[in-house]
Amino acid sequence: MRSVPNLVQIFSSINISLPVDAVYRRLGYKRGITKVDEREKEKIERHIEYAASLVSLKGAGLRVPLERVDPALVVLGTGTDIKSAKLAGFLKGCKETLFIGSTAGSAVMNAIRGDIEGGDMARGVVIDAVASEMADAALDWIVGFFNRLLARESARLTKGRFSAGYGDFLLENQKMMYDMLELDRIGVTINENFILMPEKSVTAVVGIHA
Amino acid sequence: MLLKDRIKERIIVLDGATGTELQKKGMPAGVCPEVWCLNNPDIISDVHAGYRDAGSDIVYTATFGANPVKMSQYGAYDVVEINRELTLLARRAVGADVLLAGDICSTGRFVRPFGDLDFEDAVDAYKEQVKGLLEGGVDLFVIETMMDIQEARAVLIAIKELTDKFTIVTMTYEKNGRTLNGTDPVTALITLQSLGADAVGCNCSTGPEEMVGLIETMKPWATVPLVAKPNAGMPELVDGKTLFDMEADTFASFGAEFVSKGVNLIGGCCGTTPEHIRSLKEKIAGSRPVSPMRDSISALSSARASVVLEGARTLSIVGERINPTGKKALQQELLEGRMSLVRTMAKEQENRGASLLDVNMGMPGIDEKETMLNAIGNLSVASDLPLVIDSSNIDVIEAALRLYPGRALINSISGEREKIARLLPVAAKYGAMFILLPLADGDIPETAEKRKKIIEDVFKKAAALGFTKSDIVIDGLVMAASSNFKAPMETLKTIEWSSNVFGANTIVGLSNVSFGMPERKWLNASFLAMVVSKGLTMAIANPGVEELMNTKMAGDVLAGRDRDASRYISHFSQMPPKVKQEEAPSHKTSEDKVFQAILEGNREDIEQLLSGAMDSGMGAQKIVDEIMIPSITEVGDLFDRREYFLPQLIASAETMKKGIAFLEPWLGDDKLEKKQKGLIIIATVKGDVHDIGKNIVALMLRNHGFEVVDLGKDVSAEIIIQEALNLKPSVIGLSALMTTTMINMKEVIELAERKSLDCKFMVGGAVVTKAYAKSISAHYAKDGVEAVRVVEKLIP
Repeated sequence: MRSVPNLVQIFSSINISLPVDAVYRRLGYKRGITKVDEREKEKIERHIEYAASLVSLKGAGLRVPLERVDPALVVLGTGTDIKSAKLAGFLKGCKETLFIGSTAGSAVMNAIRGDIEGGDMARGVVIDAVASEMADAALDWIVGFFNRLLARESARLTKGRFSAGYGDFLLENQKMMYDMLELDRIGVTINENFILMPEKSVTAVVGIHA
Repeated sequence: MLLKDRIKERIIVLDGATGTELQKKGMPAGVCPEVWCLNNPDIISDVHAGYRDAGSDIVYTATFGANPVKMSQYGAYDVVEINRELTLLARRAVGADVLLAGDICSTGRFVRPFGDLDFEDAVDAYKEQVKGLLEGGVDLFVIETMMDIQEARAVLIAIKELTDKFTIVTMTYEKNGRTLNGTDPVTALITLQSLGADAVGCNCSTGPEEMVGLIETMKPWATVPLVAKPNAGMPELVDGKTLFDMEADTFASFGAEFVSKGVNLIGGCCGTTPEHIRSLKEKIAGSRPVSPMRDSISALSSARASVVLEGARTLSIVGERINPTGKKALQQELLEGRMSLVRTMAKEQENRGASLLDVNMGMPGIDEKETMLNAIGNLSVASDLPLVIDSSNIDVIEAALRLYPGRALINSISGEREKIARLLPVAAKYGAMFILLPLADGDIPETAEKRKKIIEDVFKKAAALGFTKSDIVIDGLVMAASSNFKAPMETLKTIEWSSNVFGANTIVGLSNVSFGMPERKWLNASFLAMVVSKGLTMAIANPGVEELMNTKMAGDVLAGRDRDASRYISHFSQMPPKVKQEEAPSHKTSEDKVFQAILEGNREDIEQLLSGAMDSGMGAQKIVDEIMIPSITEVGDLFDRREYFLPQLIASAETMKKGIAFLEPWLGDDKLEKKQKGLIIIATVKGDVHDIGKNIVALMLRNHGFEVVDLGKDVSAEIIIQEALNLKPSVIGLSALMTTTMINMKEVIELAERKSLDCKFMVGGAVVTKAYAKSISAHYAKDGVEAVRVVEKLIP
């Protein structure tokens, strides 16, 4: 059996396909209803390409054994308690969890700020959506990577993932996840309100089923 | 008969899955498979013997994860011993007639520059495994199920530095046809075959139906035999278990197609059994293999893309900008150890049409080797373009080639004795291509005739190390026309002979020709046109120079390299028109055009259209009230109905803002009007740094004639209320994105009550709900459009 503490796995460069449809959806596009002429579409797609060129996806992942999962409490093998009935329900039946995090980097945040404050807000909102979706897609990529490794152990990850700030899994847990994932190694900081910086940085918990 | 000779005669059959067979025979989840096999020798021996009996020519040792990094997850193990013992066990199981392949797979960590595992640490770790496999007596090696080309390179280098045994490398590709790390099959093939892999291919991830296409894609570019080890179909999750349900006969039925598409070694991966291999062997019995179609290939690669230089290809531009010579900002950045300009230059050159990037880090005051390695790490991540390693220092080039996750081009190797003696073997070891610079010790040959002799001499020495003409690019040696007016003609002769007689790719450092002359771009562009006509394949140049890129595009058409002129047409259709086209006459009134401009978010023309409206006699205030406000209101309605989405809403709002700013001088009592309509203070509350939503709300409110004071983000309750006491706003708008900061809205409202501030509150943000707003006695707006409506109701 796995007998030694796992190390945080750092991904210095995550390569994903540009999630264009998801970006459109995030911006409120509804197929069959939203009407965009060719000129506008071309402009938006140029913004999307530009945004993607600014995004530098990095990530981290860490497998953590579960000591036990009670109805409203998750006890990690590291001794950490997480009070959350929703998370406990999500991890029911798992012996292990995977903590993951990703960031779109600071360059894209500078560009968003520059556009929003400097007068091209239309481009700024597109870049903002691209950065959000790419950071999210990076988590999918990390999940895919671990699923590959787990296949050899006859294990797999739960479908879906759970993030701090949803339901009773309080945002305060972001600090514990930040520390465990050593997100400082990928250039992410956290403030006293548990907000990750650069802002387009995300974390999540996934269960591992044997 | 040696394996490489047997491959020419018939299709070699590999084994099938080991992991899924072990699971079927009782290996529990979560154990270390290698240790479990050593503790259950009869079971793993049965698996090996099963494949021998099914007809496998090669059986893989059960050492998939027996590298020090992976094994450390299970405790302290002697990796050499485990690999040796598992190899000996496998040998006993299959006997002497079956070839035994030492199986190596991923550490589970990504290697720099894509992860945190140091490249040399990865090489050293794999050497431990290779030593054990060699001690156990493997006949060949197989590096399999690789997701990261850099890790595959690290293993291949580890093997090649310890033995010359036949080595197979198979990568694993996702549904999108790329590895998880973004490498496509042709790029992986070009990188791995040049680095010394004896056979290359793919395994796992997909079933045979999908994998046969990968083999077909690789075959035209392969100089080595191709390998396929598909799963027994695509995995399906049934009752929480991953199942591969393709029957042996169905699996085997793809054998003939694999052979016809060019596979040379074939077996199975997850879900396949001895039965699958037996059926496969029967189906392909007697099939003649398709040998590699070429002995060498002129091609370069990065981690995620490749550039093939053969055939009637368009001229490749090697971006020359990443070189500190004459660039003060870049020099300063490199001195400080930063790479942001390097990344920016790479991206710019890529966007301007460069096919390759020259990287030169030579300047006084820095460690050139360290800086080059740093640049390669950054560029491998930031750009898909293959790199040209440019240095006069042999140690720098060697270090760069070792780390670079692709097949690089060396700039350059001349006829100088030291370069021949030291750099040629380095280039051969790492499978790099090189620019052959026709210079010799103490001699800069002025004539083409002298250059030809040096070229032939260097090539003879390179050929002795295994290089072919495909592996070299001959430099035409461009000298300044200002110092010798005959020099350009000698370069032309050199290029013509190299291209058409010697038969190799050619390159010029274009800008040298205009050195010391004014208006250099014309000389550069003219010389480019001339040298393209002699067969030039590559030019080192600045792709940001429009004249040069236009000449390249035109030259490609005239030299027959862009046969239907599609690239030429595409290039010029993407360029902005120089002169604005005359618009068709419109019957719309000036007022209609202003209305339409806001509706369409036409920021470019709004000022001109407003001038037209005013010229027609309409007053500024009337334009705002009767045209612009109704137009932006319609935009809001379209957004509400989702016929518009956010970028359109913002474009219209920004057009409106620009229009209002233009009309400002004519809106005499505008400020008074705004105050009459109402003053609004807006802020993102303390602790929160997200402000896009708040900025959109401010923009929309201003466009509807409200005066908005934006206090920014992360603003304390005290500051908000103090400002409110001073300015006496009608409404205070508060924004928050996070659950932890949302509660600070309540603090602001409570402070306002304590200070007896008579004011209404509007709140919004991702986590804020109508119910929460009500609970703190505030009004809720879900977006900028609704915020305008809420405020209009609050300020009748």
